[in-house]
Amino acid sequence: MTDMRTEAHVRGVRMISRRNFVTIAILMSVLLFLCMCLNSLKDYWNDYAVNTYTETAENYPSRVNLYLPGKGQTETGEDTQETAGEEIQVARSLVVLVGEQDSALMGTAREWVSYTKRDLLEYSSLTDCRGEGSRAGLPEMLVLDSACVDWDSRGEVDYLFQCVEQGTHLVFCNLPDVSVIESNSKVRNLLGIRRVVEPEVTVEGLHLCGGFLLGGETIYEEEGGDMENVFPWYVLGSGTKAYMKGILEGDVTNTNSYPALIWRKSFGTAYVFAVNGGYMEGTEALGLLSAMSAEMYSYEIYPVLNAQNIILAGYPGLADENREEMDRVYSRSIRQVFQEIVWPGLSAGFEQHRYRATCMMTPQFDYRDGNLPDEEQFVYYLKLFKENQAEVGLSGQNVSDTPLDMKWQEDQEFFQNTVEGYDFTSFYGGKMTDEEIGKALGVGIPTSVRTVVTDRGEMQTEVVRFVSEDVTAQSTLGDVIDGTHRNDFLIKCLETSLGYLSVSFDMTKVAYPEGEEDAWEKMSRAVAVAITTYGKAYPGFDRTTASECDRRIRNLLAMDYQDGRRGNVIELEVTGAVGEVWFILRTHNESVAAMEGGSFRQLEQDAWLIQVQEEKVSITLEPSDERYYQ
Amino acid sequence: MSMTMLTILQAAGVTAGYLGVTVFLPWLLLRRRFAGLKRPLRIMAYYVCGNFYVIHMVYLLQLLHISCRPLLILGTLAPFGVVCFFRYRKNGAGHLDEWAGWMALAAEGKKGRKTILLKAGRWLQGFSAGKLKEWLNPCLPEILLTLGVIGAVLYMYGTNLINVYGYCATDVVLHNHWINEMGRNNIFVDGVYPFGFHCLIYYLHEVFAIPVYVLLRIFYLVQTLLIHFMLLLFLRTVCKSRYTPYIGVFAYVFSDLFYKYAYYRYYASLPQEFGMVFILPAAGFVITFFQEGNFYGSGTKGKIWGSVPGQCLALLSISFAMAFTVHFYDAIAAGLLCVGIAVGFCFRCFRWRYLKRILVSGTAALVIALLPMVVAYACGTPLQNSLNWGMSLISQETARDTGEGAGTSQEKPSDLGEEQEETSGRETAPSWLERAGASFQVKMDCIVERMDFYTTNFGRAGAWFLLGGIGVLFLAGVLWLILRRPGYGGVLLSVSVFLLLLSLLQASEKLGLPGLIENTRYAIYLAYGTGVAWSLIADSILFLLFQEKRLIHLGGLVFLVASWVVLGITGVRQPECYAPYETNEAIACVTNILRENGKGSTWTICSANDEHQMIRGYGYHYETIQFLRGMQKLEDNTILTIPTSTVYFFVEKVPLLYSDYISTEEATREVSLEGAEEPLSRKDGIKPYIGYDRWVTMSHMYYWAQAFQELYPNEMEVYYETDRFVCYRVRQDGYSLYNFAIDYGYN
Repeated sequence: MTDMRTEAHVRGVRMISRRNFVTIAILMSVLLFLCMCLNSLKDYWNDYAVNTYTETAENYPSRVNLYLPGKGQTETGEDTQETAGEEIQVARSLVVLVGEQDSALMGTAREWVSYTKRDLLEYSSLTDCRGEGSRAGLPEMLVLDSACVDWDSRGEVDYLFQCVEQGTHLVFCNLPDVSVIESNSKVRNLLGIRRVVEPEVTVEGLHLCGGFLLGGETIYEEEGGDMENVFPWYVLGSGTKAYMKGILEGDVTNTNSYPALIWRKSFGTAYVFAVNGGYMEGTEALGLLSAMSAEMYSYEIYPVLNAQNIILAGYPGLADENREEMDRVYSRSIRQVFQEIVWPGLSAGFEQHRYRATCMMTPQFDYRDGNLPDEEQFVYYLKLFKENQAEVGLSGQNVSDTPLDMKWQEDQEFFQNTVEGYDFTSFYGGKMTDEEIGKALGVGIPTSVRTVVTDRGEMQTEVVRFVSEDVTAQSTLGDVIDGTHRNDFLIKCLETSLGYLSVSFDMTKVAYPEGEEDAWEKMSRAVAVAITTYGKAYPGFDRTTASECDRRIRNLLAMDYQDGRRGNVIELEVTGAVGEVWFILRTHNESVAAMEGGSFRQLEQDAWLIQVQEEKVSITLEPSDERYYQ
Repeated sequence: MSMTMLTILQAAGVTAGYLGVTVFLPWLLLRRRFAGLKRPLRIMAYYVCGNFYVIHMVYLLQLLHISCRPLLILGTLAPFGVVCFFRYRKNGAGHLDEWAGWMALAAEGKKGRKTILLKAGRWLQGFSAGKLKEWLNPCLPEILLTLGVIGAVLYMYGTNLINVYGYCATDVVLHNHWINEMGRNNIFVDGVYPFGFHCLIYYLHEVFAIPVYVLLRIFYLVQTLLIHFMLLLFLRTVCKSRYTPYIGVFAYVFSDLFYKYAYYRYYASLPQEFGMVFILPAAGFVITFFQEGNFYGSGTKGKIWGSVPGQCLALLSISFAMAFTVHFYDAIAAGLLCVGIAVGFCFRCFRWRYLKRILVSGTAALVIALLPMVVAYACGTPLQNSLNWGMSLISQETARDTGEGAGTSQEKPSDLGEEQEETSGRETAPSWLERAGASFQVKMDCIVERMDFYTTNFGRAGAWFLLGGIGVLFLAGVLWLILRRPGYGGVLLSVSVFLLLLSLLQASEKLGLPGLIENTRYAIYLAYGTGVAWSLIADSILFLLFQEKRLIHLGGLVFLVASWVVLGITGVRQPECYAPYETNEAIACVTNILRENGKGSTWTICSANDEHQMIRGYGYHYETIQFLRGMQKLEDNTILTIPTSTVYFFVEKVPLLYSDYISTEEATREVSLEGAEEPLSRKDGIKPYIGYDRWVTMSHMYYWAQAFQELYPNEMEVYYETDRFVCYRVRQDGYSLYNFAIDYGYN
């Protein structure tokens, strides 16, 4: 050896020592372990055959626990009491609805009352309300359909003034005819209208002021406009505050006289809110009522879902279908498109904005073509989704119009062969009505399913609800990829009222494109825009899957709460919920300094997300900004 | 942070910035050139040169309408560039190479931080152990006494600064307006006026980015400190003892002898008081010129401007020009002092070799001072109203001299008539000596009476004491002239004549003399000069008693201690806080608002007038009276909007008095329903904000705010509140402004 070293030394060749050799060998082994074994171990420990979300409903409230609004017989009329010192006690608030009972407007208002745990009285006309309402005491809020008020009757208008003087806030979900307003100065005074400029005006866009709905100030310009843009032109008087206005073409200087759409008139004792147009005739009313309620007091706290869901309906597909069309459009099979093109694109967006997808899979899109799903592919996706904290649900859709029960039979067979005993807890029903869902439960929809995701119907007022004793339903806004103003406004309203956003993307269109628009390269761009837009706009809310959202829905529907303020401390007591629940706290120039019994997070200026972990919670407020120089 | 702490920091910053530019930079540039001057004169020289350069640079840039921050900074550094150019023009490349090499070594790390720090440390060590010790040791008592003077001035005038944040004189707002306009290169906005003070404040505002209102709040302390410091430096120049100068300075700061007219303007940043800084340096330079006989000192190659007298002449021109540039009253005072010096040094002054130089120097000063104003006037800018007012004052005085003077002369016979009646027993007519004596008696009475009224707190006794002091100084001057010490005696005579002239002019109304300046202002210069007189009297006595320097210094120390004892016995003046024209709370709010609102936001302050100029360039202002009048007749279509995203409403719960004169009187009347029930003032201008009208205006504003807050409880928030003041903040959407016109019950 000595000779070799000497020889090597003489030749100028460096020999490796034994010690170096061992070190290199260890390093190589570690690298090999890191590269190979960790992946193998990860794969080994991936319990993809078990659905993480199966525990959902067992321990959580069901329909029997549902909160039902009271009739306001007790304690009503004392909604806000200021006693000695700074103590303010907020008792159960009574909301009186005056309008057609089966109208969408009243339906939404009713929903809002139940979500915010208020007491409720309903009358079909103001006359009835005048006659009977006083029995229940003074309400906190009178929500009115203008059509149910006799504007010619002086007594009714006087009664409304009387309500305001006594401290009842009025919410006019729509306004009486222009002629009524034009001719009756008392009505104008009540509504805070200085003058009627034109009975009808077409606006170029809409301006939603900041601080009213969550999501901040927004200008809806003409392009992409599907919002109502023709309405009477009212100019507001003193003591008013406009929340939404129309934007007129041309004149950009005199914005103050732009037609008002949503505003309030202050009487010192109470507010009168007015909505010019039909903005409260849909689900939007939920958000508008919450925002109005937040304007009424120095603070407002109300329960929310705090759930942001992204539903991929019909993703992934496991069978090699529609080969010809796929080759034409993508030069790839469905499986390749979903695996190599769609998922990488989607997952990047999800990761960036912390979204967790709920993939409502369907083994096959077409049950008639004989192309069977690939078992390995299914296992691959289960592992992938598990790693990415995505949920796997089941979609009830197919392109072959196969009845739901038959589809389930075929799917069941496939699942038993692949991952026996896998329980799906969420189900995508598409356009299914609650009745159809009720019938399909246990037949076409697996019994393990705890929540059904449906696309929101035009006339549907309920966003989340029970469809059976143990199964909830949650509406999605469909694909918001069209990016219409109406959708954006609706999202703002839902985020404000429930902290809830659920959008679904129909991936069946990727597998079975009906036109050029359905091609993934176009669709992906729109999806990315939607994810980014709302991901950035509402970063404070939790990203959830359908089953996680189900838990929150159950808590929201079952819970009850009481709140009060003592000085700068808000005390909140929550009952009927299992586990943690969330609230939105709206303040005015105050911020949350500390909290006991939970945690808090700022959503935007003067809006806070409160996570309640204990039954009793206290939130300490402080002025939003204090003077630096004293 | 408290406003007090902020004010202290701001004052320190402003002082550092100002002295950095006007003393440190000139020292860097001119220390070799002024090496021949005595140390106190040298400091005065740096100071006047610094101010002269800054002010005239601003004048030039303003008149060319190109004044801006980069040019001002460039202009400040330009003299250094010029000096460098001349110094290194021959081997500039070599020096550049040397620098580049040094920088390269530092950049490459070859000359590391440690080496540089080590070298710097060694230098500092050497400096502190050597030169610093060498400088400080001999004059340690003087340094301590000077620090004492600074402490005394800070205590006397700084107390007001840290307790009262608002302007303490009505016209500061006007100066604020003029300075703000300079930001738009619009000098002489209200007409031609000596803009020296404004140029300086504008310069500090632009270069150091200090808001103008902060400078005007604080600068009075800096200038008052410098007024006292110049007094000390002047006395150090002319006194024989090291310590007698402190007698005058301490007496001037602490003595309770002087009436408030002598001090109260020191509590506001006003041009006249700033201009006072240049009076004594002018006197110092001209006295040195007369004292120095050799015009062509050694090593000056026969050029007078290189010698000490030559430099003194140049500096005299600059100082006199500065006094003229800042305020005409200061120019008049400096002129009177020069007259005094001409009398004191008459044996030299009227010799042609001195006179011609003095005349050239004076003419140069006038040309320099007046040139910018003449240029502006020639370009069509009219004279500012106060100049017209000043001129009308002089012409009225002159007219009165001819009219009232005649009256006086008419009165005289009656006086004499009375005397004739009294002496009717004596049939012989009074001799001319008796008549002159009687006339002198009458004139002295007038002087004493005016001095009693304007200058002293101690009645006629105090006035006689002051006049006695002047007389003693005069006699001491004559004595030293007789003792063939013309240089020293001339100084004593000069100061005594100056004070005598001021005393006479103060009584000009009674004596039938032309009144050059407003009567109350003489007291300021008289008190200032009296400090000089007292020191000189003490000094002359010591000089008379002792000829040896050590004994003179020792005696000076004894006299200084004795003067403190006398001060203690006769009464020490206490620091005062004057009634401001803006509440402390309003200033705190303005400071917070400026801090909170960045450039992107728009905001308005609705207040009673003064904030209008304070926030100019940062935010908008709405007059309270205009605001209230806007909803006085409330109709359906009355709209009152303020188109900014945030609006602040300043309401004084205890409205200020806002009197036209500086006073210590505190407001006590609170806003009330009674006030709100009174109709709003219909007077013009600022009158609705004065006295009773202000109380009515603020009462209306208060009840408007209450009513608006009831309608908008969540939107109208209390921004800042104390027992005496409340500021409300309303944040609004720019597209949906609130209509502030509401029925508040007292429209």
